[in-house]
Amino acid sequence: MKPPRFAYHAPRTLPELLETFNETADEAVVLAGGQSLLPMLNLRLAAPSHVIDLGRVPGLDSIASTNGSVEVGAMVTHYRMETDAVVAASVPLARRAAGYVGYRAIRNRGTVGGSVAHADPAAEWPIVLLALDGEVGLASVRGWRSIAAEDFFESVYTTAKRPDEIVTSLRLSTRCAHRWGFSEFQRRTGDFATVAVAVACAVEAGEICEARVAIAGVADRPMRCREAEAVLVGGSATAAADAAEAASDSVDPISDIHGSSAFRKRLVHAETLRAVRQAFSANEAGARDG
Amino acid sequence: MAEISLTVNGERTAAQVDPRTLLSDFLRDGLNLTGTHVGCEHGYCGACTVLVDGASARSCLMLAIQADARSVETVESLSVNGAGLHPIQQAFKDCHGLQCGFCTPGLLMSVVELAATNPDCGRDEIREHLSGNVCRCTGYHHIVDAVERALNGVPGRADDS
Amino acid sequence: MTADQAPRYFGARVSRRQDDRLLRGAGRYVADINPAGVLAAKFVRSHQAHASVTSIDIDAAGASEGVRTVFVGGDFADHEIRCVSSYAAFQESAQPILAVDRVRHVGEALAMVVAEDEYLAEDASELVVADLEPLPAAVDIDAALDVGCAPLHPGWRHNAFVRRQVKTYGFDDASSSAPHRVSIELHNGRHSGIPMENRACVAEHDPGTGQFRLHTTTQIPHLVRAGLSWALGVPESLIQVIAPDVGGGFGVKAQLYREEVACCLAARQLGRPVKWVEDRREHFVAAHHSREHRHKVTGYFDDEGTILALEADIAVDMGAYSVFPWTATMDGGMAMGILPGPYRIREYSVASTSVCTNKTPYGAYRGVARPAACFSIERLMDQIARHLGVDRVEIRNRNLLTGGDYPWRSPSGLVYDSGSLIESLEAVVDLADLEGLLKCQADARAAGRLVGVGLAVFTEQTAHTTQEFKQRGVPIVFGYETAKVRLDASGTAVVSASIHDHGQGLETTLAQIAADRLGLALEQVRVTYGDTEQVAYGAGTFASRSAVLAGGAVTKAADAVADTLREVAAHILEAAPEDMVVESGRVSVAGSPSRFIETSELCRLIYQRPERLPEGVEPHLEASRTYDAHPGTGAYTNAAHLASVEIDPLTGKTRVLSYAVVEDCGPMINPTIVEGQIFGGVAQGIGTALFEEFLYDEAGQPLSTTFADYLVPVMSDIPDFRVAHLQTPSPHTIGGLKGMGEGGAIAPGAVIASAVEDALSHLGAVIVDRLPLTPERVLGYIDAANSSGASA
Repeated sequence: MKPPRFAYHAPRTLPELLETFNETADEAVVLAGGQSLLPMLNLRLAAPSHVIDLGRVPGLDSIASTNGSVEVGAMVTHYRMETDAVVAASVPLARRAAGYVGYRAIRNRGTVGGSVAHADPAAEWPIVLLALDGEVGLASVRGWRSIAAEDFFESVYTTAKRPDEIVTSLRLSTRCAHRWGFSEFQRRTGDFATVAVAVACAVEAGEICEARVAIAGVADRPMRCREAEAVLVGGSATAAADAAEAASDSVDPISDIHGSSAFRKRLVHAETLRAVRQAFSANEAGARDG
Repeated sequence: MAEISLTVNGERTAAQVDPRTLLSDFLRDGLNLTGTHVGCEHGYCGACTVLVDGASARSCLMLAIQADARSVETVESLSVNGAGLHPIQQAFKDCHGLQCGFCTPGLLMSVVELAATNPDCGRDEIREHLSGNVCRCTGYHHIVDAVERALNGVPGRADDS
Repeated sequence: MTADQAPRYFGARVSRRQDDRLLRGAGRYVADINPAGVLAAKFVRSHQAHASVTSIDIDAAGASEGVRTVFVGGDFADHEIRCVSSYAAFQESAQPILAVDRVRHVGEALAMVVAEDEYLAEDASELVVADLEPLPAAVDIDAALDVGCAPLHPGWRHNAFVRRQVKTYGFDDASSSAPHRVSIELHNGRHSGIPMENRACVAEHDPGTGQFRLHTTTQIPHLVRAGLSWALGVPESLIQVIAPDVGGGFGVKAQLYREEVACCLAARQLGRPVKWVEDRREHFVAAHHSREHRHKVTGYFDDEGTILALEADIAVDMGAYSVFPWTATMDGGMAMGILPGPYRIREYSVASTSVCTNKTPYGAYRGVARPAACFSIERLMDQIARHLGVDRVEIRNRNLLTGGDYPWRSPSGLVYDSGSLIESLEAVVDLADLEGLLKCQADARAAGRLVGVGLAVFTEQTAHTTQEFKQRGVPIVFGYETAKVRLDASGTAVVSASIHDHGQGLETTLAQIAADRLGLALEQVRVTYGDTEQVAYGAGTFASRSAVLAGGAVTKAADAVADTLREVAAHILEAAPEDMVVESGRVSVAGSPSRFIETSELCRLIYQRPERLPEGVEPHLEASRTYDAHPGTGAYTNAAHLASVEIDPLTGKTRVLSYAVVEDCGPMINPTIVEGQIFGGVAQGIGTALFEEFLYDEAGQPLSTTFADYLVPVMSDIPDFRVAHLQTPSPHTIGGLKGMGEGGAIAPGAVIASAVEDALSHLGAVIVDRLPLTPERVLGYIDAANSSGASA
């Protein structure tokens, strides 16, 4: 379990990075925190000719709160998301989700950008992005663009990112950060989610005016569950059971050794119920402070 | 091959490495620091945990070249032969927090980090925080004793001979 | 034997001798060993469960950078590993070192690349192209035994290594006249010990002397030497096996493996040391599996719940080959023997089939068959209790052996020497506060939560030797262990033993024994092990034997050396040898403590001033002794476990809330180490109960080949433990010692299953009959309980 041979590049500036990637893109992978890439290299599930390390490129690790959103650099680690004051104040759902990613040593090195680019359908960040109406910022030698999270994730490990593009940032909207919940079924602490559910709601005049429910672990990509969202808009605390039922009914999950399709439907029910209850319960940290 | 220059256990070190060389292999084979153990090479077991710039990292999930210009600390940094054990090591010894010793170095490095960042843990929190370090011998109970003792100076369960 | 010394270290919670070096990262494991010129080996393994090997193209691999050579099956065709049972009708299987014309499981080695380093060896291994013609795979017990399934080995009649059957004379009468019967079928998932250190070995061959030296991750250096001698065709005198620090074994490292033979052959052929370090993915498919039992069990009992007869049909999925030194009969035989467990069962009928399948071969894992046997008999006791509406503790009390029953000859012929079963059950009920747990359960139920309590009682056969292994039909009878004790001219001692310490703390406990016998301080005793050059022979560390057998051998050898000290001291002090007292670093005259000589001075005189010795005494302070705990049927430890669990009703996820153990392993050399062994065993047993399973698909493809898919318990999965001890000495062993290394791992499957069933008992009747209890399975039991409750 040793990595195959590759050429290593450690660009020192963003333009240099984009140039290098442009030249090698078809045969290159980007090394961010490496917590997904290194296992794949060690298991020889990936054999790139070039590895381009983002670790020396400045400016990719900032967290900034702007009007109505939080912008997170691609190289921000899971652990920083767990501990950052801006994240805690503006998008506490993201802080909660960060704590579910792997173990401390993984969270110290793994990055949000790496996770999103990797697009594992059981990962936490993609559903946080969906729940918080997020966008993914992409850069290439051709310029910069951003894609709504809903259009970004296409399939297992597959995104709308073009081959020469690099994920440089995430934007999380605070519009739906008023009431939130995050619940995940892990077999053991730190395991990948079998199923995870993120719920985020916008509140106006004490009423839920917008609800977003995103589910990991049930399809080839993270998915929103509009049936559950419809139940929540204008709904009260009793809506949790209905939303859970709607969510469970709406999914047609995959089966694997961690759970059959039928089992995953049960988990969707359970975790949606819990996430929505969190969102409705001030005591369970589901409501944003203030 | 590429030239890297880093600090390992407080000493400046320069070496030529193949970019694909894992940090774990570089430490073990390149620097003969065999206290860092390799148990799975896919990030689950925690035996290879070291500190990079003070933060725990799986040395099997890092290329040596990524450690260029960084500071790496391994279990060998905790105490020197002939001198006393580090208080965390001593707590593990006092509480029988190890058996075969294979997971121990990685676990100790995780505890060093825990002591620095979350020193007020109770037993349940210790278990949550250290769940990324698998031990197959001890059943964890004595490890939790040792960590509790190291963090809080809790008496008891020590050698009463 | 001297009874005049008061033990100073025996029974004390001294901290361990090896801890300083292990804590400093200064342990020396096989992967840390790099002789000059060492080459790296990488095995190319089959991705097919069953296939004919049509061709293997190694040209590209051989031309790859840094490659010295690539071996295939034909290169080692003169060598194989065989392990033949003496049981009648046993069907033999030969493990080729590298597959020749057939592969029989995913992970079987097809080729061996030897290169300048591991990276280059792995690069080249990807270039080996094996052309395999798939054959139908027998992937479970029923498929393999089906009459339509072709035998997996040449010359075989069917796919059972062996079938055995035993029935007591009175069984038919007792079973046919019993007023009640309960039958259950129980399934144990395939899993294994999964030590944190993977396997590794470094083979060296000296062309001048013809000597092999193999550093390897083994629990059984002398048996590996014996097996290598047979496989290599080389006398044992030319083979040195060294097991340095070993990162956990649990039975997985108590076999001779093909990779060890391959590395020796490669080192001889290439004239350079060859090192192989297994990676974790290989470990999951090539290191031996264990535990996969299916038991059909029927209990016959009277109105009071007294068991009148027991019937069992055992099948074990042994995988593709019979392994050295156990044969493919070990688990089936052990289960047959121990299944009646701690109960007063006189009539017994049992059949056992050891099945050959296209899976990784099956070897030892902590507890060997006893977890499955305990699961069966304890699940049966719970069903009998429920059938009669009797409390689970009460039903056990009615059937457990009591003090007056010992020595008890079980219906399978085991002789239980002593025990404290009822006392241990009573004690664990107190220790765990069963009453309090039941109150919590009632409160939890009122709140809609699922909380249950489970318990189990068992006997652990330990330190069984000649008599037992003779009956097991194994080619080498593991009858004894050896220890050598030497005092040097400084007055410090070196104890060498044939057992191995890979976590059990024997480096410390054997020193405790020797220090007491020689009247030395613990720091003056150094214990070495794991080197076949140090003591003549022995079996190694497995089957809860090391403290008893090595402890006994150390006692005998140390006493022999102490006798020499007495004899010379008596001469110097002008007293009688029988009046000499060896303690506290001196040898003195009994009753006259001022007449003494320092032990260190005495040792110096013996080696350096031979003129001071009495006539006929050699200047020699070394003794080697073996110990076989007569009569060789084992010293029986017993224990009772009691746990509580909570189940998430929505997801089926089960959490162990509390776990208590009362164990009686006789006198304890070091209670802290005993407790560490118990806790470690229980945690592995919780893995058995809730997490661990090697899953395969219908084609025989393993699905659990990383730590993401094979789940071992992590720290947050395991509760704090409560433990208490009883100490009933064995009448058979030196010091009354009993073994206990495996015990912790035996009961948790039964205990957790009992607790899960209890948690659902108010919903409806369901029998928890399959391990591990994954959330999905538990949800299935919840559904079944609900529907049984609804229809009741």
